Amino acid sequence: MRKPIYITAPWPTHEEMVKHLRISKARKKELQVLVDEFKAKLSNQEEVTVTSIGPEKRRKRASAA
Amino acid sequence: MPPLPDPNAVFLNVPYDDEFQNLYIAYIVGLYQLGLVPHLASEIPSGDRRLNRIFDLIKSCRYSIHDLSRVELSVTPSAAPRFNMPLELGMTITWANLYPSRHTWFVWESEPYRLQRSASDLNGTDPYIHNGTPEGVLRQLCNALRRDRTPSVPQMLKVYRLVDSALNSILDKNGTRNPYDRSVFMDLCWLSSSLAAFPPARHSV
Repeated sequence: MRKPIYITAPWPTHEEMVKHLRISKARKKELQVLVDEFKAKLSNQEEVTVTSIGPEKRRKRASAA
Repeated sequence: MPPLPDPNAVFLNVPYDDEFQNLYIAYIVGLYQLGLVPHLASEIPSGDRRLNRIFDLIKSCRYSIHDLSRVELSVTPSAAPRFNMPLELGMTITWANLYPSRHTWFVWESEPYRLQRSASDLNGTDPYIHNGTPEGVLRQLCNALRRDRTPSVPQMLKVYRLVDSALNSILDKNGTRNPYDRSVFMDLCWLSSSLAAFPPARHSV
């Protein structure tokens, strides 16, 4: 079994993680709504009931919309 | 000597097809959960010298993941084998051989032993087998790369499911059905990175 590579570099800050992403301020605001919702779900220990859907089902939903 | 790579950057060499999109999201989420930053060739605007720009992107990343799990031809009449991924892997191997302390590459596959047939020159390279599942991708990311405060696979899977559930709205917002579009990739990265900044210890499973 291979040994994992241990990353010694410091954890990047959020700013460092996203500095290369070109996203408008307006879009960031929209995404922040989702982030807040998801963080609440994770921090409240809510059971994540959303199930992953496959590409086929996703296509059908999109075409039905 | 070339400039030092970003120590947290990972070049993601994956197939851009419909069947792969769940694994693609799992890679993005999993890498951010490990405090790593994924980079994709689709970040690069198309145009002349695209290959040079891809090579520059590879050189700027400390790690790279090459998923060779889609070796089959698609069923469309004009099906052609995907040569981009092996091409980019070859460029990466050359770069890593020239500067081994600056780049580490990994090969991912969905089936064990298939790599010995599809790319026999890679014999001696153990691919990480993800079994074609998002959980497998997350598990193997944890097997390949470790660091302090790494969340568990079930924790990462929770975040993956949330991000995956947002894909349709992200696609709609960007006016596309292609999850590999640059704008969609950026949105997925923003979302995943924002959830990665959340301290892992606070959402234990």
